[in-house]
Order: sequence, then structure tokens, then C-alpha cells
Amino acid sequence: MKEIMTNNSMNSNSRYSLKDYLKKIFFIDLLQGLFITFNYTFSKTVTLKYPDEEKWIPYQRFRGLHTLNRNKEGKELCVGCELCQKSCPTQCITVIPMEDKTGKGIADRIAYRWEINLLRCMFCGLCEDACPTEALKLGREYELASFSMQRQLRTKEELLRPQTIPDEIEGGFIARARLETDGKEVKVIPDLSVQKKWW
Amino acid sequence: VVEIFSNPLVRMMFEVVLIFIKVVVVTLIVFSLPLPLTYMERKVAGHIQVRLGPYRVGPHGILQPLADMIKLFFKEDIIPAKADPWLFRIAPIISMVPVFAVFATIPFGEKVTLPIIDYDIDLYISDMNVGILYVLAVAGLSVYGIILGGWASNSKYALLGGLRSSAQMISYELALSFSCIGVVMIVNSLSLVDIVRSQYGGHWNIFYQPVGFIIFFIAGLAEINRIPFDLPEDEGTLGSGYHVEYSSMRFAFFMLTEYVAMVSMSILAVLLFFGGWDGPAFLPGIVWFILKVAAFIYFFMWTRFTFPRYRYDQLMSIGWKILLPLSLLNIFITGLVII
Repeated sequence: MKEIMTNNSMNSNSRYSLKDYLKKIFFIDLLQGLFITFNYTFSKTVTLKYPDEEKWIPYQRFRGLHTLNRNKEGKELCVGCELCQKSCPTQCITVIPMEDKTGKGIADRIAYRWEINLLRCMFCGLCEDACPTEALKLGREYELASFSMQRQLRTKEELLRPQTIPDEIEGGFIARARLETDGKEVKVIPDLSVQKKWW
Repeated sequence: VVEIFSNPLVRMMFEVVLIFIKVVVVTLIVFSLPLPLTYMERKVAGHIQVRLGPYRVGPHGILQPLADMIKLFFKEDIIPAKADPWLFRIAPIISMVPVFAVFATIPFGEKVTLPIIDYDIDLYISDMNVGILYVLAVAGLSVYGIILGGWASNSKYALLGGLRSSAQMISYELALSFSCIGVVMIVNSLSLVDIVRSQYGGHWNIFYQPVGFIIFFIAGLAEINRIPFDLPEDEGTLGSGYHVEYSSMRFAFFMLTEYVAMVSMSILAVLLFFGGWDGPAFLPGIVWFILKVAAFIYFFMWTRFTFPRYRYDQLMSIGWKILLPLSLLNIFITGLVII
């Protein structure tokens, strides 16, 4: 055992060249390490000041809270076909259709109730794929925490509202934001005019 | 006022009061130093790791150390059932007192003259003629607190931390003292004030004793248990070493000790090798002194978040096989040059 150890140490010693010794004497490796960390000290930080000052705006492909879209004339695109309900693996969508001749929707059939239970939803996006009229889309809202379970049941009226992040915006950046709470839920409202790239 | 002051009795009273004031002021400053230093350390750590560091308490997290202090005050003070209660209580204080005692002889600047009474105030509590010997001796006592704390905790990790600390102290205290001897030989005095005065005008000892400085710095890192030599509180293998069983204020005392030791080591490096308060005249001496010490403290923190920890046998072989012979050689060569 002793022999092996001495052999090893001799081998490792003989591998040192003059350059290695000079490197050791003048702490070159250590100084290089210090230089790297010094550069990082003054580089931009990766930390987001979320939720007080900044917020990440996701890309368009992001699957967040559901939105029910309208067409250009402002008519509801949803025709109450119940395909989303049938395609849902966790059965969290409830659709009750009704006949409607007033022209609220694009056809004479609209959704009387359209509800989603976010506690069960796993945001797989199958409902979005199943939708024949492109009415349903998983949007970019992701602050879903609330103070009551009831709040997790979102209905059509709320999902039809114009979205906080318009579809045209590509996303993938940090926007300035402010934190707001109304006692029922907490929202971080982005100010899309002030943008910056992340790291 | 001047007439009253010329009375020798009043003058003596004044001097006694002045010493008390100095002691109180220095103690208060040293006591409050860890607050900005913890903040600085966490900010440096954060920015080196491309984070922000404390940010939420106050603007840019500036009130974070205060919050931490309040938290430490109100935490439960736990003494393990099988610990030695008397030693366990006294150990943090044993380790804290010597690092404060060091400041009795540390000078902060040249004499300042009070305007009306025309009286010179020295910016040190006392100028001992064995200043540097006193500093090294007293600072070394602090390790007793660590050993006793580790022993009294009745915990394997704490005991191992204490043992490592004592072994490390013995190996590196030698190299540290020997590296100071080179400076003492050049200056021909052990008094810290004389050592600084001899360096006036940019004749800093770092230019005459570069090897001595490097040995001093490395041994100093080991002496104050900073990375890469922080084996007594090695998180990876010992939990947190000697203070693993401590909580609340007693833990805070150990932290305080560590930070004050770091400050005194920086001050010592500045006094011995970087000319103390010497610097270009556009800034007052005390400002130069603080700037230099702050730069050293920053360097200690910078190395902490750059280097990994040495293994225990590596630590020992660096101390005994490299630093000690090198410091002896340094003394020898300095002696030859002086002759």
C-alpha cells in the first residue's frame, strides 16, 4: 500500500512542469477565478423583482387561464358544441348550450353556461385543440391564486372579457408591473409599454 | 475655558474622561460593525452569484440586518440537555472578549487637535510598545471560546469543529507571527503607531515584504476561519461546526466574533503592509484608513464566494510544509538584506 502511494505521488510530481510551478507560485489559477467572479459581480442579475416591479410576459404558446374569444364584429365565437367538455381529460369544463336568435354569437346557438373548474384543470390544451370555431384559447394569465375555492370556478362572463395581454404581443420579455390585491385575489398588472429582455 | 484647562488637576480629569469616551466609542462602533458587514456580505454574495441579495426590507434591502438582529434577539435560547451548561453559556463570551480587546491598541489615525483648548487627541486608546505582540497574542485567545463551545455542546460535530479550530490555529498562528517579524525587523519597533509612521510617504511595507504579506494574508484567512480555510464550520461535513448547537443571542455572539475578527485582521494587514492612514493628501488620513480596510474586507468576502474549501490534510500541509518554511526563509532573507 505504501509503495503504491509513493509511486502515485512520484508520478504526479513528475508531471509538473516549470510552467505549472510558476502558476502555483504566482496564484495564476486563483487570480483567474477571482477575475471571473469579479466580472459576475457587475453583470446584470437574473433575479426578477416579481411581483413588486417586474413581471414575466410569457410567449404566445403559453397555456394559462382560458379565454373565450370574440370575432371582429364582437360576436361570441363559441357555439356551445360541447366538444371541449367531451375532450377534457379531467372533466372540468361544463357547457350548457342554448338557442339564441339575437345575434350575440356567430350562429343561432351559443353557450348558456360555460364554466371551468380550475382546481381540476391541468392546462393540457386539449379543449383548445378540439374547438371548431377557435373560440377557446388558453391565454397568458397565470396568477390564479385566490383566497376562496369559489373563485377557482371561472364562468363565461369573466373569460369573455378582453385579456390583459393582447394576442398580438409576442411575449418572452419582462414588463414593468405593480402588485394589486382586492381581498379576493392578488393580481400583478403589467405595464406593457416598459419592456426589457431577460438576462 | 483655557484658564480652567491649564489647571493640572482638570487636565488629568479630562484625560481620564477622554479615555473612557474613547473606549465607549470604539466599543460601540465595533459592536455595530457586523450590521453593515452582514448586509455587505450578502450583497457581495448575491451579485457574485448573479442574484440581487437582500432586496425587500427597506430600499435595496438596507434594513435586512436590523430585521435579522431582531429575529436573533427573539429566538428561543436553547441549551442542549446533555451540554455543560456553565461552559456552554460562557464560551461565546470567551471568544468575543479577546477580539474586542484587540482594539485597545489599534491606531486609527494621527493626532487630532481640539480647537479651543488646544489639546491633542490620539486616535488610539493606548500605544503599547509591544502593540503587535499584544494584538497577535490576544487575538489568538479567541479560539478558546470556539474550543470550549465545541466541547460544551456535547455534540460530535461541534467537538470536531472545535478540534479543527485549535489545530488550525496552532499551525497558522506560527506563520502569521513569523510573517509579521519581517516588518518588525524593518521598522525596529513593535508599536503599531511606529510601524505606520515608518511607512509615511508611500514607503509601504508591501513593497519591501511582498512574500511576508502573502503569508500574512493566507495565514490571516485561516486565523479568522474564512473560506478557503473555514474548516471549523465546514457546512459540508460538520453541519456548521462549533456553533451547531447554539441559537439566539449566543449564536449571534459567535457571528459577531467572526465579523470583528475579520475587521481586525483587515486593519492589521493595512497597518502592517499598506501604510495605515498614509495616502495622498486630498483626503484626510482616517478616510484613507477606512477605505483600505473596506477594500480588504471586500477582498475577504470576494474570496469567500470564489474559492472552494481546502481539505483538512491539505490545510495542514499548506500550513506546515509551505507557509512556515517560507516565513522562516522570509525572516532570514530580510535579516541578510538589513545586515
